[in-house]
Amino acid sequence: MFEHMLAGFHAALTLANVLSLVSGTFIGIVVGILPGIGPMVGMVVMLPLTFSLAPDIALSLLLGVFCGGYFGGAIPAILMRTPGVPSSLVTSFDGFPLTQKGEAQTALSAALIGSFGGGIISVLCLIFLAPVLSHVAASFGPPEYFSAGLFGVVLVVMANRQQMTQGLLLLGLGLWFSTVGIDGATLSPRFCFGTLVMQNGLDIVPVCLGLFGIGQTLLLVERKILQTDQLNLTGSTLDFSKLRVAFRYWKTLIRSGIIGTFVGLLPGTGSILASFMSYEGAKRVSGHPEEFGKGTPEGCLASEAGNNAVPAGAMIPLLTLGIPGDALSAVLLGVFTINGIYPGPLLLVKEPVLINTLYVSMLLINISAFIMLALWLRPFALIVRAPAGILAVYIMVISVIGIYAVNTRIFDAMVAVVMGVVGYILLRLGWPVVNLVMGVVLGEILENRLRESLSIGQGDPMIFVTRPISLFLVVMTLLIIVVPLFFDHRRRASEAKSYPGR
Amino acid sequence: MSQQSRTHDLLAAVIGGFALITLLTAGWNVDTSGPDPFYKGPLLFPVLVLSFMVISALPAIRRLIWPATGVKWYLDGNGLPVKTMWILVFLIAALFGFSIIGLEASTALFLMGALHFMGVRGLFQGVGLPLLLTLVIVLVFKLFLDVWFPEPLFLNWMGG
Repeated sequence: MFEHMLAGFHAALTLANVLSLVSGTFIGIVVGILPGIGPMVGMVVMLPLTFSLAPDIALSLLLGVFCGGYFGGAIPAILMRTPGVPSSLVTSFDGFPLTQKGEAQTALSAALIGSFGGGIISVLCLIFLAPVLSHVAASFGPPEYFSAGLFGVVLVVMANRQQMTQGLLLLGLGLWFSTVGIDGATLSPRFCFGTLVMQNGLDIVPVCLGLFGIGQTLLLVERKILQTDQLNLTGSTLDFSKLRVAFRYWKTLIRSGIIGTFVGLLPGTGSILASFMSYEGAKRVSGHPEEFGKGTPEGCLASEAGNNAVPAGAMIPLLTLGIPGDALSAVLLGVFTINGIYPGPLLLVKEPVLINTLYVSMLLINISAFIMLALWLRPFALIVRAPAGILAVYIMVISVIGIYAVNTRIFDAMVAVVMGVVGYILLRLGWPVVNLVMGVVLGEILENRLRESLSIGQGDPMIFVTRPISLFLVVMTLLIIVVPLFFDHRRRASEAKSYPGR
Repeated sequence: MSQQSRTHDLLAAVIGGFALITLLTAGWNVDTSGPDPFYKGPLLFPVLVLSFMVISALPAIRRLIWPATGVKWYLDGNGLPVKTMWILVFLIAALFGFSIIGLEASTALFLMGALHFMGVRGLFQGVGLPLLLTLVIVLVFKLFLDVWFPEPLFLNWMGG
C-alpha cells in the first residue's frame, strides 16, 4: 500500500498534473465567485477539453473546478451577501454582518480556514473509508447493487420531499431518458421513434451540460443577481493575523468537516444540507449561540468546512460502488468511463496508483485554492462584478461547441440545447433538476442490475430480500421513506393542534 | 416563486400525460421480438418507470381538475423571457450555422449578434472580444484538440 501511495505522490507531483489541478482550481474559484454560474457549469464546460488528456490529469482538472468552486463561493457571500454557490448562503448569515462591522478580513479568514480544513478532513476520511467500503462492496452481486442504487434514488427523492410530485416525475423522466437508444443486453432499439440518431441514446454529457450549463446561463440573461455593488474589503491579500481567530474554533472545524463528508457520501443530499447541518451543529454546541446570525467567525467556518467536505465525501460511493452521489460526481463518472475505467469495488485493487494520485491531487487542490485566494483576494473579489448576462452568452457558445466536439455530432449539441430549455424552465419553476440528472445517471446501473438479479432469481423478485446485504439495503430504503414521512405527519399534526384555525 | 401556482400542476400533468402515451405506445417503440422472457427483456424497466411516472402525476392531475380555493397561475412575476428567447433563437441559428457557414463565421456572428442584443456597444467589447473568443475557440478545438467540423455548405454552393 505504501508504494502505491508513493507512486500516487510521484504521479500527482508531475508538472502536467500540477498545472492541471492549479488551472482547474483557478477556474473553479472564478466560476464559484460568479453568482449563478458555479462549479457544475465550470465542470461541464471544461469536460470536452479533458477527453484528450490522460485520466489522472483530466480528473485533477475537473476536481480542481469542483473543489475550487466551493472555496470561491464564500467570497461574494461574505462581501456582498450574494452566495457564489447555493451552499454559501449559510456563510452569508454571519459573513455579511461581519463585513458590515468592518471585519470582512476576519470573516474571510474563518471561511478560508473552514474550507481548507473541511477539504483536508474529508480527503483523509476518503482515504480511510474508501478501502473499508470497497471491501464490503467486493461481496456485492447484482441484487445488492440494485438495492444500493434504489437506496440512492429514494434518498434523492426524500431529500426534496417538499416537492415530492415534481421530484418523482423528474427522477422518472431521467430514468426513462436512460432507456432511449439501443438496449445493450438485447440490441433492441428503444424509443428511437424510427430515427437513426436516437439509437446512440441520450448521452449523460449533453444532458448535464444542457441542464446545468445552458439552462443556468439562459436564466442569467435576464436576471440581476448581485444584492449590492459595494465591495467593503481592506487590503489586497488575506490579513494573515486574523487566521489566529479562526484557529480558536478547531473543534467546530473537525466536527463540520466530518458532518460534510458524511452528508456528501449520501446520494442527492447536496452541499446546502452539509452547510446547514454543520452551522446548526456549531450553533447548538457553542457557548454563545446568540451570536450566530449576527456575525461570528465560527458560523462562517462551520458552514464552509461543511460544504467544502462534500466533494471528497461524494467520491466515496463513486469510487467504491460506482454510484455517483450527486450531479458533479456523475460528470466525473463520465470521465472515468470514457477512459475505460469503471469505478467499483475492484477499482482500488486494479488502479491503486490512479486512486492514490487522486487522493494526493485533492489534498494539493485544497492547498492551492487556499494559497490562491489568500494571495489574490481582491482581484478574485472584483470578478464578482463581471456582467453575468454577457458571460452567459460566452459560456453558451463554448458549451455548444464543446458538446459537439465530444462525439462530433450536431445531434448531441441539439440535445444539449433542448435540455437547456428544459433546464431553464425547471430552474425557473424551482423544480429539483438534480433528480432528473440522477435518473439519467443511475438509470443504466439500476436497469442492468435489475435484469441481472431477476435472471439469477429466474424472474423471482424475492431475490432482493433473501440475501442479507440486499435485505438490509431494502429495509434501509423503506426506513428512509417511512421515518421522514412519519415525522412530517407528526409535525403537521402538532402544528394543527397549536394553530387550530390554520 | 410560488409552489401553490397551478403552473406546477400543469407541467406535472403534461409530463404524466407524456408518460402515459409513451407507456401505451411502448409496444410499438420497443422491439420485443427477441426470445428473452419479459423479466430479461428490453421493456421491463421502461414499463416500471413509466407506470411510476403516471402514478406520480395523479395528485397533480387531481389538483388541476379540482383546484383548491385561492390557487392561481401566477409563477414568479418575472414575466415572459423575451430576451432569453431571442438569445436561444440566436444559439439555435448558430448551431445550424456550423454546417452552413462554418464554425468561425457562425461563432463570431452569434457572439456579435447576441452581445449587441444584450446592449453591448463599442468596437472592443462588441466586435473585438467576440472575434478574439472565436479565435481562441478555433485554436483550441480545431488546432489543439483536432476536432473535425463540417465543411461549410456555403463553400460548396459557391464552388458550384
